[in-house]
Amino acid sequence: MPPTRSGLARRQYGVAALFTAPFFLLFFTFTLAPIGYGGWLSLHREQTSGLGLGGEPEQVFVGLDNFTRALTDGQFLGSFVTVGVYCLVYIPVMIGIALVLALLLDSAYARAKRAFQLALYLPNIVPGLIAAMIWTYLYTPGLSPIIDALEQVGIPFNLGSDAGAVGAVANLTTWMHTGYNVIIFFAALQAVPREVIEASTVDGAGQIRIAWSVKAPMIRGAVVLAVLFTVIGAMQLFTEPFIVRDAATTIDQAWTPSLYIYQLTKAYDMGGAAAASLILTVVLAVASFLVTRFSKKGATL
Amino acid sequence: MKTRSMKAAATLAGAMVSMALVATGCSKGADTPADKPAVTEVTFWSWLRASQEVTDAFNKTHTDVQVKFEQIPGGAEGYGKLTNAVKAGNAPDVATVEYAMLPDMLAQGNLADISGDITDLVKSKYPAPIQELVTLGGKTWTVPLDAGAMVMFYRKDLFEQHKIAVPKTWDEFKAAAEAVKKADPKARITDWNQTDSANFVSLNWQAGAKWFGIQGDSWKVTLDSPESQKVAGYWQDLITKDLVTNVPAEEVQKRKAANQVWTQLGGAWAAGGLKAGLPDQAGKWASAPLPSWDAAPASAMVGGSSFGVSKTSKKKEAALKFITWMTTTPEGIQARLASGASSTLPAIPELADVAAKNFDTKFFGGQDIYAVAKTALPTIKTGWVWGPGMRGVFDGIGEQFKLVQTGKQQLPAVYGPVQTKTIADLKGRGINAS
Repeated sequence: MPPTRSGLARRQYGVAALFTAPFFLLFFTFTLAPIGYGGWLSLHREQTSGLGLGGEPEQVFVGLDNFTRALTDGQFLGSFVTVGVYCLVYIPVMIGIALVLALLLDSAYARAKRAFQLALYLPNIVPGLIAAMIWTYLYTPGLSPIIDALEQVGIPFNLGSDAGAVGAVANLTTWMHTGYNVIIFFAALQAVPREVIEASTVDGAGQIRIAWSVKAPMIRGAVVLAVLFTVIGAMQLFTEPFIVRDAATTIDQAWTPSLYIYQLTKAYDMGGAAAASLILTVVLAVASFLVTRFSKKGATL
Repeated sequence: MKTRSMKAAATLAGAMVSMALVATGCSKGADTPADKPAVTEVTFWSWLRASQEVTDAFNKTHTDVQVKFEQIPGGAEGYGKLTNAVKAGNAPDVATVEYAMLPDMLAQGNLADISGDITDLVKSKYPAPIQELVTLGGKTWTVPLDAGAMVMFYRKDLFEQHKIAVPKTWDEFKAAAEAVKKADPKARITDWNQTDSANFVSLNWQAGAKWFGIQGDSWKVTLDSPESQKVAGYWQDLITKDLVTNVPAEEVQKRKAANQVWTQLGGAWAAGGLKAGLPDQAGKWASAPLPSWDAAPASAMVGGSSFGVSKTSKKKEAALKFITWMTTTPEGIQARLASGASSTLPAIPELADVAAKNFDTKFFGGQDIYAVAKTALPTIKTGWVWGPGMRGVFDGIGEQFKLVQTGKQQLPAVYGPVQTKTIADLKGRGINAS
């Protein structure tokens, strides 16, 4: 007897469920459940009483108090301003450099492409922590040959200023992440149909014109994706300022949202930290939405 | 196709089962006390110098208790780790707690009450001021190891060479600071270390400030007091006049190596670190009492550690056996000092002599630095109480120091914000404070 239509569908559902089960299991265990626990934590606060000697802290329900505390805390709000400024500096510079380098690599005149790809990608292999330590050394006056050299020629670099700190961190992250994005853009450029480029050449366009007016628009999708990931990564900025703050005195304990959250956990304020984390998550979701929304128009991928 | 994959799966499953069997077999073999008497294994977390050596010495001489030592970071990170471990139920049996952090650890419910026999032990062996540090709310919580009496280490060779008198008061210290700068324009008398706020806190203690106090059922937090202001004003003046270095910690070490830092204030235990960090300057350093505000010598405690049993430990007795061995017996102290890395000043007076005999004084040109530390002990200002939230206080002062370094803040203004925040934090945790 041939299988009935509904029987087939049922069997297909069974197979589909079998294949998707591992994903949902992991997604629930490692994503939804922790977020749920974070939500629970954000509504509670650890409390002891009296002098607090020897008493075991208890979790007390405080409603939305942790959220109001975070949203009215100037330090927390200020940390978003910092990453905002940082994004404005870092993202255009980093994406711009990556795009130019990728286009250069893709140009007809480029030689030793593989060697350059590898060299550009190298900084990305260095763990963020190590990179931050190396750069902290390079930023410390009296230790750094670069700072000393700059001072010799009369360009003092002051890490102690707010602008200096943002610049220092942005420089470090640009150094780290440019190579990665070059690889992404270069891969996308490889997918640009060669006949389009040939046609432009026949039409009399030079290399620069082709790069800017033909190739770049055609990898718009890849660029948007890179910007999206960069925005998300930049807003979670933690390791680099955490290490560089040893040398940069203006980087305080609440310089970025992630540092603020870390500082709360150090003060045993898990409720406050959970609330701040959820707020950061919402901000990230909104930011990602805006990036995809604004770049949809004319996207090619 | 299907049968082949089934077969592969069966083989894989079989392999996993046999691996699991091997694993359980192994652990069983190690745990079964077949021919040995019952051994209790306790775990011990610390960051103190020579902890491994102490553990090894204990394990060699004891059969009923064996200790497993795990190195953890000091400072805020180490205490955070302990707090989380107690919550997670995998805390060590023996924890290291500095006196300053004890109330904080109690507020987190990290430690077990070890009153009883230990109360008697602490009462009979330790001087009263040390007893007070580990007795809170009428209970004994930890067993003290050392007394971090604050002293001044100085470059004897440079002071002698330039005929500068070793300062005994803070006024003389300021005069000496000017003389040092005159003798070597690149050198300063000391570094104004912004990253370690513990020294600064103790300088306030020495001046007679009392940052925490208990009034009935509530903590009284008074960071900002006339005594504190005196200390801040004094050091701000030195900073403003460029008589002390005001640079990041990384650079300080370089300056020290280049003979540009002539004194270092610190606990007696800091001698070990000095020795390890500047091996080339052996024989050039010496120890002297901390300069005082008037002619009468005065000191304060900086750092100083004790050991407690974590709340979740099920091996309290074995843990206490190890703790009392390393804090109250000559063998325990010898083991700590023998490696030469530690310069701990034991809190029990008789043991301080044991320590003095075991510490290699070559770095200090043969000077008995323990004699200096011991004379400083009775001059420690009484009445200082450590309160909960010290982790936040140390951190908060450290953050303020960064502003001081860039000139955005003056030292006398650092207390206010930290005091406000500390009170708010304590209240937020349900602790009475004002």
